[in-house]
Amino acid sequence: MATVLIENLTKIYPPTITYPHRVQALGGVNMSVTGNVFVAVLGPSGSGKTTLLNIVAGVETPTSGSVRAVHNGVPAQVGYVFQEPRLLPWRTVLNNMLYVQDRKSDRSRREAEFYLTMVGLNEVAHLYPSQLSAGMQQRVGIARAFLVNPDLLLMDEPFSHMDALTGRSLREYLQRVWLHTRKTALFVTHDVSEAVELADRILMLRPGGVVFDDIPIDLPRPRNPDDPAVRSVERDVLRRFDSMEAAVRFGAHAQ
Amino acid sequence: MLTVPSVTPDAISALSSREMRRAVMRRWLFRFSVLIGWAAFIGVWYFFSRLVFNPQQLPEPHVVAGESWTLITERDFRTNMQASLVRVLGGFLLAIVISCGLGWLIAYNAWWRTLLRTIVQLVVSTPIVALAILTLVVFGVSSLGPVITTAVVATPYIMMNVAQGLTGVDRRLIVMSESFGRTRSQIIAGVLLPSSLISVLAGARLAFAVAWRMELLTEIFAASEGVGFQIRRSFESYDVRGMIAWTVLFIAVMLIFENLVFRQIERRLQGRTA
Repeated sequence: MATVLIENLTKIYPPTITYPHRVQALGGVNMSVTGNVFVAVLGPSGSGKTTLLNIVAGVETPTSGSVRAVHNGVPAQVGYVFQEPRLLPWRTVLNNMLYVQDRKSDRSRREAEFYLTMVGLNEVAHLYPSQLSAGMQQRVGIARAFLVNPDLLLMDEPFSHMDALTGRSLREYLQRVWLHTRKTALFVTHDVSEAVELADRILMLRPGGVVFDDIPIDLPRPRNPDDPAVRSVERDVLRRFDSMEAAVRFGAHAQ
Repeated sequence: MLTVPSVTPDAISALSSREMRRAVMRRWLFRFSVLIGWAAFIGVWYFFSRLVFNPQQLPEPHVVAGESWTLITERDFRTNMQASLVRVLGGFLLAIVISCGLGWLIAYNAWWRTLLRTIVQLVVSTPIVALAILTLVVFGVSSLGPVITTAVVATPYIMMNVAQGLTGVDRRLIVMSESFGRTRSQIIAGVLLPSSLISVLAGARLAFAVAWRMELLTEIFAASEGVGFQIRRSFESYDVRGMIAWTVLFIAVMLIFENLVFRQIERRLQGRTA
């Protein structure tokens, strides 16, 4: 069970040759996530969602503020699912899984096969990524993130490049694996229905990287997007999302 | 009115067997066209040796083939080819070691990039005959000279491809590795080296061909054994048959390396990254 504490986090990108202006991706984000919860970070494009996730993962440094992702007092082990699968094309599916493992033992191999079975891909463990469809590759990406036994699972719009049907089936796979492991999860998305289907809590980020709203989602799992209760919550979140966009459009300040 | 054709398992099976037959036919046609190309080359050779030159100036293909066979069965062939091969491989391996280090510097350091690019231009622009003569002046008639010169000539090609391979690495794979806590050495072994391998291989193939030619030329001037030395000896005794036979054997060994080593590695790598 991981704890993520984010205090007054800002990230400003310096001007570049192609874009000679400073860009504020995050403007003082404060939030905390504790326990075996699935938190969706919802926001429109340019609200700093991916930047937030990259800083939590430690692959980017903040301009100011602090981020602590800990598990039992030590830095949390992170599993990351990216927008694209990011598989090594010269390794088989199984070897892609084993790449993120510290020890290459029979046990780690069995674990890799277990998670591949969870996402329905054990039969193709010997194939190379180029021999798989985009949806299958992303399923490998999901299985890989769970394989490292993460204390904290980070997911950056993992279904945004998928068609609606593939996205739906991948969400089902993700729910199945998450219900089995119950890892602390931060899931970035701009899709309201995706956030409602998967999350226990939705943090809404407005452009400029400020938390606008914090919405608890109290629905039983596994969730079906066609369930009237899920659709009702989805409408409520959508209404709040619209009011945030209106507030941004008319220059109002965040709460 | 449009009719939708019925798709039955039998129809699919018939379609796939037809496709299979076409694929086999295409492969055989390709092989046949290659054979025609070789036959045309030998025909042109006969034409020139019989009608344009005399057999002393340009021996006929079957005469050269006979001479080549005689050379192969002689003990001299093994000694000379081995001497050339050892020098080429020595120079080539030296070039690979130097190129990996320098390619790394070019990829990640602007100062080294500017300096080494200038040196590369200098080496590539230098006539290889001048380098061969310089080798004779500096090293005399020895085995070391051809090895060093071969390495000097081959290095720029491999080095630039190593640099290109490293700068062309998908940054997202490095970010992925970092996010999963992979160490620097794990990222080098797991991402940087494999993803730059195709580019390095392309440079190595080119460098190997250049290294062979350089080695041969250096042997003509500065060696007491090897294929180049034998070509010079045949020339000095006006043995055109021997000259061409040694050249043909030299090309044959080059082709064997190209097809059995480089092309196989390339096929293996491309199959994985396609």
